[in-house]
This record gives sequence, C-alpha cells and structure tokens, in this order.
Amino acid sequence: MIGGLFIYNHKGEVLISRVYRDDIGRNAVDAFRVNVIHARQQVRSPVTNIARTSFFHVKRSNIWLAAVTKQNVNAAMVFEFLYKMCDVMTAYFGKISEENIKNNFVLIYELLDEILDFGYPQNSETGALKTFITQQGIKSQLQTKEEQSQITSQVTGQIGWRREGIKYRRNELFLDVLESVNLLMSPQGQVLSAHVSGRVVMKSYLSGMPECKFGMNDKIVIEKQGKGTADETGKSGKQSIAIDDCTFHQCVRLSKFDSERSISFIPPDGEFELMRYRTTKDIILPFRVIPLVREVGRTKLEVKVVIKSNFKPSLLAQKIEVRIPTPLNTSGVQVICMKGKAKYKASENAIVWKIKRMAGMKESQISAEIELLPTNDKKKWARPPISMNFEVPFAPSGLKVRYLKVFEPKLNYSDHDVIKWVSLQLHSEMSAWPLDAD
Amino acid sequence: MPYLGGEETLRELRRALSNPHVQADPARYRGAVLRVIRLMAQGADVSGLFPEMVKAGAVPDVVQKKLVSFYVRAQAPLQPQLALLAVNSLRKDCAHPSPAVRGLALRTMCGLRMPGIQEYLQQPLVSGLRDKASYVRRAAVLGCAKMVKMQGDCEVDGALVNELYSLLRDQDPIVVVNCLRALEEILKKEGGVVINKPIAHHLLNRMPDLDQWGQSEVLTFLLRYKPRSEDELFDILNLLDSYLKSSSPSVVMAATKLFLVLAREYPDVQADVLVRVKGPLLSACTSESRELCFTALCHVRQILRSLPGHFSSHYKKFFCSYSEPHYIKCQKMEVLCELVNDENVQQVLEELKGYCTDVSVELAQGAIFAIANIARTYTEQCVGILTELLGLQQEHITSAVVRAFRDLAWLCPQCTDAVCQALPGCEDTIQDSEGKQALVWLLGTHGEKIPNAPYVLEDFVENVRSESFPAVKMELLTALLRLFLARPAECQDTLGRLLYFCIESLVSEGDKDVLEVHPDAPVSEEKELLEAHPDAGSLSLIPDVSLSAEQFERSWLSLDTSCQLCLPWAGPVHADTIQTALRVVHIHTIAMSRAGAQPWKAYLSAQDDSGCLFLTELLLQAADSELQVTVKQSEAKPEALQSFISALRTVLEAVAGLES
Repeated sequence: MIGGLFIYNHKGEVLISRVYRDDIGRNAVDAFRVNVIHARQQVRSPVTNIARTSFFHVKRSNIWLAAVTKQNVNAAMVFEFLYKMCDVMTAYFGKISEENIKNNFVLIYELLDEILDFGYPQNSETGALKTFITQQGIKSQLQTKEEQSQITSQVTGQIGWRREGIKYRRNELFLDVLESVNLLMSPQGQVLSAHVSGRVVMKSYLSGMPECKFGMNDKIVIEKQGKGTADETGKSGKQSIAIDDCTFHQCVRLSKFDSERSISFIPPDGEFELMRYRTTKDIILPFRVIPLVREVGRTKLEVKVVIKSNFKPSLLAQKIEVRIPTPLNTSGVQVICMKGKAKYKASENAIVWKIKRMAGMKESQISAEIELLPTNDKKKWARPPISMNFEVPFAPSGLKVRYLKVFEPKLNYSDHDVIKWVSLQLHSEMSAWPLDAD
Repeated sequence: MPYLGGEETLRELRRALSNPHVQADPARYRGAVLRVIRLMAQGADVSGLFPEMVKAGAVPDVVQKKLVSFYVRAQAPLQPQLALLAVNSLRKDCAHPSPAVRGLALRTMCGLRMPGIQEYLQQPLVSGLRDKASYVRRAAVLGCAKMVKMQGDCEVDGALVNELYSLLRDQDPIVVVNCLRALEEILKKEGGVVINKPIAHHLLNRMPDLDQWGQSEVLTFLLRYKPRSEDELFDILNLLDSYLKSSSPSVVMAATKLFLVLAREYPDVQADVLVRVKGPLLSACTSESRELCFTALCHVRQILRSLPGHFSSHYKKFFCSYSEPHYIKCQKMEVLCELVNDENVQQVLEELKGYCTDVSVELAQGAIFAIANIARTYTEQCVGILTELLGLQQEHITSAVVRAFRDLAWLCPQCTDAVCQALPGCEDTIQDSEGKQALVWLLGTHGEKIPNAPYVLEDFVENVRSESFPAVKMELLTALLRLFLARPAECQDTLGRLLYFCIESLVSEGDKDVLEVHPDAPVSEEKELLEAHPDAGSLSLIPDVSLSAEQFERSWLSLDTSCQLCLPWAGPVHADTIQTALRVVHIHTIAMSRAGAQPWKAYLSAQDDSGCLFLTELLLQAADSELQVTVKQSEAKPEALQSFISALRTVLEAVAGLES
C-alpha cells in the first residue's frame, strides 16, 4: 500500500512529507526530486521506479504530489486516490498552490491522518470528512454532545457521502452540463473525428436526506417508453442521443440504472460531479472554422479565419472567443475583423478574437497579417490548433435534461419548493490547421 | 538540523503553555500549541517542551489533541522515557466518551515508535476491537497490524488473529477491509490471510457496500480463492459482473484481472471479458485525467499482446491530441503500431506521418520508429513515407529514418533496393553518432547497390580525425572492409588509409579500442562477409579451430607442400595488424615471431566446413622484399586451395599496401 505521501513545489522543495511505513526511508524524498523533478528530459511516465521503490505522481499547476510505495499496487487506484486527495484539498482551501499548502499545512497533515491510516485509504468523502476535521481557527473549542453523536451516526451510517441533519432555509439545486467538443479536421475542412465529452455537475443545497431523480434523453430510455405510446416515438425519436459510455458518482444507484435506466441518488452536500459521458454519434457542431494560411515570403504570413455559426437563426451564441496561435518569431500583427474585437497578445503567442453575441447561420471573418522575424531555425512551426470557447443554449451532443425531481420523505418539502437552476455551458477545442502551408 | 527556534522562543513558548491564563482560554492555548507544531515542521528542536505538550493533550478540545498527537508521534522515538508520560494520558483518552478521541488516541499510541510500547498497547487495542463506534474499530484493527509489525519476529497471538477473522463479519465496510489488510500483514509469513469459501462468499456479498478503494482491494484478495466447482465459479463471476463497468477505473482493472485469473480454464470467458471491458478502458483512455489515461493505455497494450487487433476498429481513439503530455503520446503511438490492419493502415500512417514533424525531437523520432515498426508488415507504403521524410532535410528526422532503414534492411530484405535508392544525400544532414553508424553500416553492407558508396565512405575516412564518436570509427572500419571485399578496386586505397590511421592512433594515443574491439565483431557478420566475397567461391572457413601448437607441428611435418607463392613486402611487420586482419576471414595464428625478429616467421591455420585443414607458413627474410608463403592442405582439394590462397592473398596485400 501507499508507504508515504510527499508534496513538492516546482523547485522540488518538500512542502509536506508524511511517511506511513518504515520501509520508506528519508532518501526517498530526495530520490524523487533528483530523478523526476530535476530531470533534464520531459517526464517519461507518471510512474517512476527508483531503487525498487515506485513513485506515482500527479501535477497540479506547479505542485507535485507523489505517492510512494514499495509494494506492487494497483496503479489506477493510487492515481484515483491522488485525485481524490486533490479534490478534498480543493474543497477545504481552494486552489492547490504553494501558498495555500504552506498556510494550511496543519490541516493537510490532519487530512492525511484521516484519509490514510497505515497507508490504507479510509473514508475520503469530503462531506463526511468535514464532520471530524475541524478547520483551524474556524470552529470553536468544545465539540458539543450533538456533534459527537453525529460522528457516531455518520461513521456507522450506510451513506458515507452525506451527513444527517443538514438544514437549509432555501432548498436550491444547481445543475450544469459542461461539454467539450474535440474535433479533428482535414485541410479540406472535412471532419475526421469528433467526440463530445461531457460532465454533469451539480450543486445541492437541500435539507435532510433527499432522493433525487434525473432524466435525460438517453436513446434506450426513450425507446423503452416509446413502446407504450407509439406517437411519442415519432416525435422524440430524433431527439434522443446514444451515449457511448458514462460513469457516475458513487451516490447513483447503479442497479436502478441498469434495470430501469433511471438515475436516482441521494446527493452529497455541496458541489459534486454527477456523471461523465461520451458520445461520438450525431454531434451537432455549433461552428465551422475555416482557416487559410498563406506564406508571403519568409517574413510574412497572411492568416484568414472564417467562422460560420451552424444552428437555428433564432438562437444566440454568447461570449465567443477564438484563439489563433501565431509563430514564436512574430514581430508584429495587423488584424482586421468585421465583428467583435481582436487583439494580438504577444505573451500568449496568439490572436484573441472576442465576439459578444452571434446569431445562428451567420458568418464572420478575421484576417491578419503577421510579420515574422527572419530566423535560421529550419524547424517548422508546429501549428497548434485553433481553439474556441463559447456558450450556446443547446448541447452539441444533443443531451437534454428531461426532468430533475426531488423527494424528501421525512421533511415536508416537495419538488415544487426546490429552486432549480439548469444551465448548459460548452467549451470546444478544434484542431483545424491544414497540414501544409500551401 | 537547523536551529531556528532559539532558546528565547522556546522559553517563551514554555511559559505560554504553562501559564494558567492561557490554559483557561482554549483559543490561546491552541494557538500556542500550533506555534510549537509550526516550529517543529520548520525543523527546530522542540523536544524540550515534551512535558508541557503532553499536558496540553489532556484538554477536551479534539483539534488540540490532534496537534499534540503529531508532536508526540514525531518526538517519541527521540525520548522514550518521556513518551511514557504520554502513554498514560493516551490510555485515559482510550476510555473517552467521544469515539473521535478514542480513535485518535489508539492511532497515536500505535504510531509511537519506541521499544516496549507493546505491553501498554495490548489492552486498549483489544477493547478497541470491541468498541461500539466503527471509527474506533477501524483504527484498532489497523493498530493490530502496526503492533505486530513493531514486535518483529515474535510469535503472533492466535487469539488476536481469531478476533480479527471474526471482525470480517463487522457491519462497517471499512472495518471489514481493514481486517483483511491487517490479517494480510500479520500473517505475512504464513502466506497472508486465508480466503476460504465462507469468507469469500461473505466478501462477495459485502462488495456493494464498500467504497472504491475497498472494492479494488477485495477483488485483489479474491484472486487467492479457488472455487470448488464450475457452478460456484460462474456464480462468482455473475455476482462480480457489474464491477467490470464500475465508475472507478481501478475497480474495473482489478475486476478484469480477477475474471482473467478465475476463468483460467475457460478461454471463451476470458475473451468475452476482454470484449466487455473495452468500453470502460476506452473511456479511461480518452479521459481528462492524464495519469489514469496512461494507466489505461498500458492495460490496452497488455491486452493487445494477447489479443492482437482487439481495438482495431477504435483506432481513432488513439490519435494524439495536441495538448496531451509526452508520455501519453508515446503510449498511444505504441498502441497504434499494434492495432494496424489492412483497413486502417492508411489512416494510421497518415496520422503518424503528421507526428513526424512534431517540434519535440523525441516525439518525432518516436513516430518515425513507429512507422518503421509498421513497415515490417506494410513495407512498401511505409518505406515511401520514410523516404518522403528524408526530403525535409531535418537532422533528427534523417537520422531516425536512416536508423529505421538499417533495421528494415535486416528484417525485410525485399525492401533493400528501395532503401538503397533513398540513401544518397543523407550523409550531409546526419550529425549524431547513432545515425552515422546506421548510415555507414548500410553503405558497407549494401554498398554494391549504391553507386557512390565508396566515395561517401571515403569522405568519412577523410574526416575521421575530427570524428568524435569511437563507435562511428569502429563501424566505419567494418563497413569499409566489407565494401572492400565487394568492390576492391574502389576501396583499397581508402581502406589502406583508414587502417593506417587506426594503427597510428593506436601507437600515438593509445586509443586501443578502435582495433581491439574490432576482432570481436559478431561472427555471423564475418561469415556473411566471406560469403559475399566473390573469390571465396565454395570455400567457407569455420570461425573457431582448436588446434594446439603440437598438433599443428605434427600435421605440418607430415604433410606435403601444396602451394608456394611470394608476395611483395616492404618494411617491418605489424604482427597485431596481420593477426587481426586474418581473424576477420577466420584464419588463426598459431605462432608468430616477435616484431622485428630476423627472419620473421608466422604459422597460421584454418579449417573449412568439410573439415579440410589449411596450414600456412609466412616467412620474411631480412634481405628480401618478399614474403614467402607456404600452404599445406590436409586433403587434396585444389578448388578450395585456390579460394583459400586468394583470400589469404587479399588480406596480406591489404596489410602490405597499408604498411608501405
């Protein structure tokens, strides 16, 4: 099992070191620093073996988290544990940064003590941990009798991710569908491959032990229901989507999903990721990006990018941001765009073009003249992909939220009393450079 | 250890900790304790505050207890006597009404690494195992493992083991998993925890309650269980079926392993399992968590090894995206190589070709080697792409392509012609050792098909003085010798100059490895070399003849001279050079006069594959400018004799030409 856990900053200085087992010596800390953090070449693998000791590392911004073991362990499990650890730390003090870690080191040791015992993962749900980890300086000294009994019920209870006795004045439920489209285009503008990976993120502020049900236009469900009412199949047949695969938060009752395809769960308190899914079929691409690049001599480059919105004219896309990468030896850029604002950001090596709003079936273009410094470097410019960020009122995968219901048997609030917020956000990354300049 | 605290700070902290006013105000008391911990984390020596800190641990505040617990655990090994103080108050805490305090006290006590702690531990642990709060039981169960580990070689307490086995039936899932872990550690010498039928079935029934860590660990423990009957086996597999689709990749992977091991005797079931984990594995491969993605890719490669082509229809999932880290791209390329088939080869090659021009040198070369890998089956297309890449005239690309060509010429002789046509012009671009070696090797081995090979090698020889890699020089020597045997007229002069350089450097710089390593070149290559020699005809000499000096003398005296000839010779003899040169064609030196001796004599022997011996005497009289060669043959084979003599003559002439 995990023999020790180290956290380093970008220089390789140890911020946190917690050793659970005697077989991990002091020199393990240095071995990882010398062999991985200070190594000349790029990181070759997230798992490194040094002197019969395995180091599993994860990097968050410029912080390295490394789990060390001498045993043969399930690598996927160690990584999942490290992710969990990051999630827990983020839930406690926000972003994982050197400063935050230094300021909260006592808390982190406390967390490490609860999450791992003798190197074995124990309870790691943020919600449950909050009952027996008291953040420094916030909670006062004495634990009341009530709190103590809470721990007992918490720790013995069947639902590890939610504590009992949560009360809110306003019962609110937020649901965000975040999708990102990955697209590969040929120089001719054909779509080579596309997939959507989506996440359904919820924030729940509900009292008691509510039972939630979430429904979407999954193909299998729609077809199942369609058997009864033939009319509906005709209407909704097109609107259902085929999900390639999906994974759920542990609170979702998988048995119910398998038998009835219904997603029912008792949500943890606060923010969590309800599900992840991936689709590859029938993806609606909200935009088409057509880039044209012409090299005029050795020191000049002409770039023209056309974006076409590809949805109903009645809909509006918002906060569109197109990022066009430029070569490293760019000395100056002149941009002309018909719509929105465009700026060359030298520090990011990109032209950033922002459009506030754009209706469907419209077209807009930007042209730029890029001046290059002559270089001897024979290496070609790597042509990173153009990326786009935007918000549209529909999901490219076609996913729709059909219903979101809340039942609480003990406390008397019904589905109607809950304020629900459902939103769709979309980030799309498109790799759209043609392979050759001409 | 840097001394940051200073006497003053310590004294002040001690005063604060023992001040009744501070002790009365919980917030201030905790603040003081926190300062001590901070100092300790910075590396200051705070051992002097031990009594005060132990006292600070006796307050009702759980947070403060935790802080003190860190302190005590870190300091106990340094001062075992004082640590006993802590043990007393910790034992009191073990009977505290709050389960959190009891659990913490148990954990702290088990974490004190000091001798003799066991006798104090026994009783609290046993009562901890029977505690009504599961939090305490969890800590107690793992505490047993810690205690046994501390005891070292002592006999394991049977009652304790039984207690733990019965706790496997505990209602708290984490206690169950902790019991398994603890038993595994305690019974390590006896092969770990025993998974018999009741335990296995109990664990299977508890699986749904466990968290993901517990599930994947229990699945690993179940590997040990051997079902009694076929029915039982399939019942187990049915029960575990849903875990193949679990949301946690670690559980999926552990379940897959268990299925593959349990269904050892049912290949159909195994194949079916691999088909069914395809989905979860693919989604892990495209997930955003890079490290998991890497792990999944490693699994995919393992599966491909036993089921080649398993993921072929999903090849697009393994195309690299721009922002992925290096290690994932490398894994994906490896996977792509393995799932190529007739249908997707075109697309895969297109994709790989795109990576060849990547900015990262390592990645670009990786992509080229991936294409070379595919070339073993789809030779023509790949050689085409590789040849195209040479046109870019990038140093690292050309080097990698030439290296790929060298391996291809070995593995797929049918592509040699195409490779040879692509080679001219590469020599200007390549700068690194590996690439140069490969190029020189190709020029030497397939020189007869490359018109300008001798002249390219000549350039290399001309610049040999400024060549910084010894390996390249070595390769050059071998290659030139080979090419010399194929195209003697064009190479003789160059070879002479090279050998001259070698000897010179041997004498002047003591740079011996050039010549010394050379005779150790692989035997098979030399055999080839002789076979490639047009004059060698039907003769092939075997590489090692074990002929002692006495045997040689006896044979020499009993045989008649078969042939005698004279070769022009001038100047002194370099015995080493001759010996080395002869060894290349498998002629062995039996005895030789010292260099400079007059007259100079040498006796050589060789044997062909039919067992016919060739014995040779070389004689150099002082006054003569001729080397007299006498050859005797054990069987009368005029044809073989002719071949042998011509081989011998070639070598000697080469050496003579060099020394003049």
